[in-house]
Amino acid sequence: MISLYHPGTSWLHRLPAGGKLIALAVVSLALMSQTSLPMLGAALGVTLVLYRSLGPGWVGRLAVIRSLLPLALVLLAFHGLTGDWLLGAAVALRLVVLMTLANLVTLTTRMDAMLAAVEPLFRPLSLFGISPRVPSLAVVLVIRFVPVLHQVQLALREAWQARGGRKSSWRIVPPLIIQALKLADHVADALSARGGASGMVPSSGAMARQTESV
Amino acid sequence: MTFWRSKRASTQDKAVAFDLEAASYARFENVGLEISGRTILQDLSLQLNQQRIGLVGLNGSGKSSFVRLLNGLRQPTSGRLEIFGADAVAARKDLPRHVGFVFQNPDHQAIFPTVEEDVAFGLRQLGEDDRLALEQARDFLSLHGASHLAQRPIAELSEGQKQLVCILAVLIMQPSLIILDEPYSSLDALAARRLHAKLESLPQKIVMISHDPSQLEDFDRVVWIEAGGLRADGAPGEILKAYDDDIRAKAAAAGVDDWDRGHL
Repeated sequence: MISLYHPGTSWLHRLPAGGKLIALAVVSLALMSQTSLPMLGAALGVTLVLYRSLGPGWVGRLAVIRSLLPLALVLLAFHGLTGDWLLGAAVALRLVVLMTLANLVTLTTRMDAMLAAVEPLFRPLSLFGISPRVPSLAVVLVIRFVPVLHQVQLALREAWQARGGRKSSWRIVPPLIIQALKLADHVADALSARGGASGMVPSSGAMARQTESV
Repeated sequence: MTFWRSKRASTQDKAVAFDLEAASYARFENVGLEISGRTILQDLSLQLNQQRIGLVGLNGSGKSSFVRLLNGLRQPTSGRLEIFGADAVAARKDLPRHVGFVFQNPDHQAIFPTVEEDVAFGLRQLGEDDRLALEQARDFLSLHGASHLAQRPIAELSEGQKQLVCILAVLIMQPSLIILDEPYSSLDALAARRLHAKLESLPQKIVMISHDPSQLEDFDRVVWIEAGGLRADGAPGEILKAYDDDIRAKAAAAGVDDWDRGHL
């Protein structure tokens, strides 16, 4: 499962998703042009305090930093080699702060709340006859099917190895793409079978049925 | 949110009239189906009116296409098909409300990351408010003894649990007819038996494809599709026996290494 949401009841969990996203956008913009190491260091400090407020186990939540380190080091080395270690440190630090903050929003916001918060942004699409639910549905589908495609990839790799192939190979990429396309076909059918991407016209009959039972 | 809702509401009057109490919920009159020049089904005339109908036939016989006609996933290219008294072509957009579809592979059907979201989706499709839909989905799951699954990621469930979730996600839309396309093929025998009992307890009419004759023995009627047409149709005991005999005869006639002739 790639949904990184961590269930909890901290004050950050209780904040509305829209507020958190706007705050994240404002802070990101503000830090974007910031090259002062003390300022970025302070931002990192504040971020750590925010993580701390999640309660016990908050250090584990910082795991995202570990996966960022290689990229941060590359950035640092690149700037260092071109002669500006300080700028390199600022760029790397900024990356870590921004990603850690974004991760904090992901950790404390349910996927449905997140989608409900961004849906209004897509509302202008209805001017072109496209339901604003479509983009959020697309996001949901990605989250749902990444683990499924991962399973498909593992199965293909097993099939490859079972017939004597070495560890892993680029050769499983074309069949993986074909399987992904077939999967997309099936899912499109499943979506249509439940009324399509933009939902069904509520008819008076359906509404009556809806209220009389359950 | 209100903007697109109101737009949808304005098309309300165009909704097709269904007769959910109709004696025959599906009425085929010389129905044919062609897909990119290939004839998949031809000249089918029959009426479906029993509580539970089983569908048998070899792979490629057209039975999957047959059931897809019933909920609007495919439209007939010739003849006339009525579902609950409404023309299947004109009503295709509204058919999913009354005709639920459970697919062979749950991983092809479940659209949302978690169980409760997927079950709530059906209600949202019917125009329910997001929050109410989620609440009703949780209630519905506990009504069916599955409240412990509500927050679980679908990817982590067992195959039987996944298929149960798919069935509940269809049931919550309160269809009058449920189509099942080989629902047990990825399940172990125990999970299949339990889901079979669950389906038996439902008030909905059922049309089910199965390769396992024992799952259809207690049905009211079995329809045998072959080469896009109706091969036989009647009581399960008689039809399932004839189908089994036919398979044995075909296998014997083909010989062990004769892959050219006959079906494989």
